[in-house]
Amino acid sequence: MDIGGTFTDVVAYDERDGSYATGKTSTTPGDLTAGVLAGLEQVVGSAQDISFVVHGTTQGLNAFLQRRGERVLLLATAGAGDVYHIARGARSKLYDLHYRKPQPLVPRSDIAEISGRLDYRGQELEPLDEGDLRAAVAQAREAGITAFAIAFLFSYLNPAHELEAERIIRELHPEASISLSHRVAREWREYERTSSVVLNAYIAPTVERYLVRLQDSLDERGLSVPLHVMQSNGGILTAQAAREHPIQTLLSGPAGGTMGGAALSQTLGRPNLLCVDMGGTSFDMSLIVDGEPDTVQETELEGLPLLMPIVKIHTIGAGGGSMAYVEAGGLRVGPESAGAQPGPACYGRGGTRPTVTDANLVLGRIDPAYFLGGKMELDVAAAEAAIASLAAELSIEPVALAEGILDVVNAKMAQAIRTITVEKGIAPSDFAIVAFGGAGAMHAAFLAQELEIPEVIVPVFPGAFSAWGMLHTKLRHDFTTPYYKPVADVDVAEITARLEELAQEGRSALLADGVPPAGIASSWLVDMRYVAQEYSLPVPVGAGELEDPAFATILSDRFHRVYDQRYGHANASAPVEFVSLRATVHGDLGRAEARRSPRVDGEAPTAASREVVFQRTAQQAQVVVRDRLNAGSTVTGPAIIEEPTATTVVPPGWTAAVDELGVIVLRATS
Amino acid sequence: MSPTATTIDPITTEIIRNAFISAAEEMNATLIRSSYSPIIYEAKDCSVGLMDENKRVLGQSAGLPIFLGNLEICIELTEARFGPQVWAPGDVWLLNDSYMTGTHLGDVTVFAPIYWREQLVGFSASRAHWLDIGAKDLPAPTDSTEIYQEGIRLGPTRVMAGGVLRDDIVDILQRNSRFPALLVGDLHAQIAVARTGERRLGSILDRYGLDVVRGARDQIFAQSELLDRAAVAQIPDGVYEAEGCLDNDGVTDDPFWVRLRIEVDGDEMRVDLGESSDMARGAINCGEAQAVSACRVAFKRLVNPDRPVTGGTFVPLTVTVRKGSLLAAEEPAACQWYFSPLGLLIDLFTQALAPVLPQRVAAASYGDSMVSYISGLRDRNGELFVNIDCLVGGWGAWDGADGESSLINSVNGSIQDFPIEIVESRYPLRVRRYAVRNGSAGAGRWRGGCGTIREFEIESDDIWISLWYERSKTPAWGLFGGSAGAPPRVDVNPATPGARQLLKVNRLELHAGDVVVCRSGGGGGFGDPLERDPQLVAQDVAERFVTVDQAREQYGWNPEEGEIAVA
Repeated sequence: MDIGGTFTDVVAYDERDGSYATGKTSTTPGDLTAGVLAGLEQVVGSAQDISFVVHGTTQGLNAFLQRRGERVLLLATAGAGDVYHIARGARSKLYDLHYRKPQPLVPRSDIAEISGRLDYRGQELEPLDEGDLRAAVAQAREAGITAFAIAFLFSYLNPAHELEAERIIRELHPEASISLSHRVAREWREYERTSSVVLNAYIAPTVERYLVRLQDSLDERGLSVPLHVMQSNGGILTAQAAREHPIQTLLSGPAGGTMGGAALSQTLGRPNLLCVDMGGTSFDMSLIVDGEPDTVQETELEGLPLLMPIVKIHTIGAGGGSMAYVEAGGLRVGPESAGAQPGPACYGRGGTRPTVTDANLVLGRIDPAYFLGGKMELDVAAAEAAIASLAAELSIEPVALAEGILDVVNAKMAQAIRTITVEKGIAPSDFAIVAFGGAGAMHAAFLAQELEIPEVIVPVFPGAFSAWGMLHTKLRHDFTTPYYKPVADVDVAEITARLEELAQEGRSALLADGVPPAGIASSWLVDMRYVAQEYSLPVPVGAGELEDPAFATILSDRFHRVYDQRYGHANASAPVEFVSLRATVHGDLGRAEARRSPRVDGEAPTAASREVVFQRTAQQAQVVVRDRLNAGSTVTGPAIIEEPTATTVVPPGWTAAVDELGVIVLRATS
Repeated sequence: MSPTATTIDPITTEIIRNAFISAAEEMNATLIRSSYSPIIYEAKDCSVGLMDENKRVLGQSAGLPIFLGNLEICIELTEARFGPQVWAPGDVWLLNDSYMTGTHLGDVTVFAPIYWREQLVGFSASRAHWLDIGAKDLPAPTDSTEIYQEGIRLGPTRVMAGGVLRDDIVDILQRNSRFPALLVGDLHAQIAVARTGERRLGSILDRYGLDVVRGARDQIFAQSELLDRAAVAQIPDGVYEAEGCLDNDGVTDDPFWVRLRIEVDGDEMRVDLGESSDMARGAINCGEAQAVSACRVAFKRLVNPDRPVTGGTFVPLTVTVRKGSLLAAEEPAACQWYFSPLGLLIDLFTQALAPVLPQRVAAASYGDSMVSYISGLRDRNGELFVNIDCLVGGWGAWDGADGESSLINSVNGSIQDFPIEIVESRYPLRVRRYAVRNGSAGAGRWRGGCGTIREFEIESDDIWISLWYERSKTPAWGLFGGSAGAPPRVDVNPATPGARQLLKVNRLELHAGDVVVCRSGGGGGFGDPLERDPQLVAQDVAERFVTVDQAREQYGWNPEEGEIAVA
């Protein structure tokens, strides 16, 4: 179940016959539970029949974006209470005379400085001042604050002061919700760690209340299994565990799409995938490299940093609602979007500026009678009028403008993809595109052409792919511990013990989640860097390597390789150090494989044909209904493949083939 | 200029326009990805540009605002010196001469001609700050009086000829740096940027052909020029002036004046900097190119700040300097702190136009980089070190909002402060306090932002500090009745018998237990403080941005009246 801004999607998998069903309801802002339950009822008769359920929630994200989270008292080390507001002094816009920093979640008056100091080795210089703590709790009581965020200097090395503060607050204020920085993000850099713990404290009560309410409603309906929640890191958690790490649920929806990509990567045997999700206002890109989602250890939300592992999603403002307009005599497309109100001109809600959706409609790529499966009739005349009026302003033919709008937006998306791959030191032509979201498959073949990518994959249920992806995601827990040591001084016994300890912690967590021991897998990463660098890179460690006497050399060599891949150079003679140890455990609850259909090779039956413009020329294109395609069917472009939540455009010179799982693969033939 | 007489269709033009922007972004990503020095890949003390055959900008991506639109001058000056036949395929040039590039010697510009089908079609260029090019003090002196003390100085130098790196040139560079490995790494990164620019422009030309690309380029330049002209035309015609002074030049105590006169005439703007002070003995001199750049930054803040820079941007702006002045320095003037007059110039530009653009301007900011270098013989690993600290400060208020507190200054961009946990882990220093400097904001209906306090305790001997703190004689001024922010202040061992206050010093020796308290200035206020909403004053007091005394004296605040709603 995936809650989006407009719709809540539900995808159900029937374990008896390996089939899928989907449901779609309107998201119910305020109390999201209602929409979720309505969607669930569309696909499963009774909650008692459910053996596994996973959910991506925007509850925490909404609380953050609308600034409706909990009032938080931040406790910081004396002398460093303003670190959160100074926010490293950085400015993200170069020429903005009226620049404001991202709005912090806690005002200065809700920050209390607490005496007690550790040094750079984690050793105590000054004990924690209990009097300061008591005063802070009194301040909170007076103001009616029940949520506390605690972020002390060097707590990532030694959490003693944070733990002691937690104990004292608990004693004085048993009902308080307390977040500790070393638990949320056990990494150095006090501003980023503080920002993370504040955000956790800010959304924790909201997420907790929501999950309790949803679990209760499901229980009432007879659900007998635990509710699972999607995390931003590309794994799932039980709702129970999610309540302890609410920050991990923040960006769960988009992560679902990427995890769908990871699942496809495995099923289709394609290690490198570029996942593109084009919706109404934005174009989201993420990467699957060697079968694994591209994750990062740090991100930003509206400019506020978050230290947590997260599936990396890049977004640009390009979508169906992106508007075309004239500036200084030149054509521009986006990033401004017509949104849902007034929306594209063809929505008939008063929009007069042509959008990408209007261009697709005018060119015949969208069937006006079958938009959202026929739930919404589009006004072709309004779209044509909007395009014609802009075309007249630019003195070009309306058809040329409509196709031109798409050319411009496709070029922008392709350039964005090129930039993210260059930053990572990889070539887009080594990837296949996975297209989802309402508009992804309409544009994907053109992106592929721009980027010299040979294949485009359109999964089943492209309009509900995030929900589908969640269903194919394993349970996941991440554990981190700091470990500062030059590689040359490595104590293999010690590092083995520490890694094993982390993995054991993970295994216990998964067993508690109900994962059978056979379904548990763990992996290790060590963060390494050149001595004196600020940022580190994660380097994988194989289980057998710890016994290898050449362990230090193996890891250093691998670090140089990873570094070279990322930055284009490496210095094999420079000393390398460990920064932290990470364990990730995955739990597989053992779900059956999707049903494979027998192949019936041959051209797909054509439902109809209509005129669609390609290369400024109207061409007769066959229109195929996706439900009627068999495994083995092929479709030769120009063609349009329609389904309720998405449209796939097969341009001239491309063919589409359907595999045994119902996945469509587009290939250029010329 | 272009051979194409016909108009290129607007779709192709727009795709090519985006392709130029994307090419510049890819060049920038290449530099950030492959440079060796954190000052480039972290602090983004760099800039890249793709130019056409006439050295006009097709696309640019700036990390440092003050490098806006002055890479082209390096190519022009090289051609002026050696003639147009000097360019050859596979050549890469470098240049750091302050009087040509305008900036200090540490900023090295690397550029290369781009050939397509054996025809010169453009240039790619990048500028990046190299950590050390052999100045007398590491990383830079605050008391230099001649450029020869500031590092090795290179005119246009061919570092790669016909695709082959010139080992003799690289050898000269390496012998003049304390960090030769970093230097070569950064040089290679900049050569990679040149190659990226060549490849991307080549692929655009492969796809559309030279005539179409040039036709589109002309359209793109015309669009930018039209936008800028339309914005300038909205400013009432007239002559607008402002002046302000720097505290001193680091070696004498005389103030140095920056004076500007802006003439707006229809859709053109002419800026004359000629009345500014003569060159200084100390290192506050600036090459002409950077003075022009600073005017462009100031212009850009008021004219289409969100629009990308192309060869058509800044066409309505002309800048005149006087040779031999502070802002058009000549040999042998020292230029290490060239940006101090420029930060002031940028704020003065805004002040001059305030009467006619009251909605768009802002009061002055704290104004300079507020640099302290703490260097020593032994970091936590026993190695030679230098901790570079730029203390962020308060920005000016504008009509409708308070200025931001503790924010990096206008000539710098993406630089972030160093976390306490990193500083203490690396260097024998303790950061005892890092705080917003309460009460340092200029009062106003909209108040300025506050400055910052950073207090260091020194934990070992063999440590030296160099300071470059400016703008105490011209702290951030207010506008329309707003008052000035507090000036900067640095105390060494305050409240002890050996207490000292100073703003600039070169290599002052410190010992274990010494304490240095640095304070940056606040921003100026906007409008009459008595008109400030009392609720906002109460909130400022609750949040400690404004002291109770200031609230009473400057804002006429009376807490007994009961409208205080402490948040």
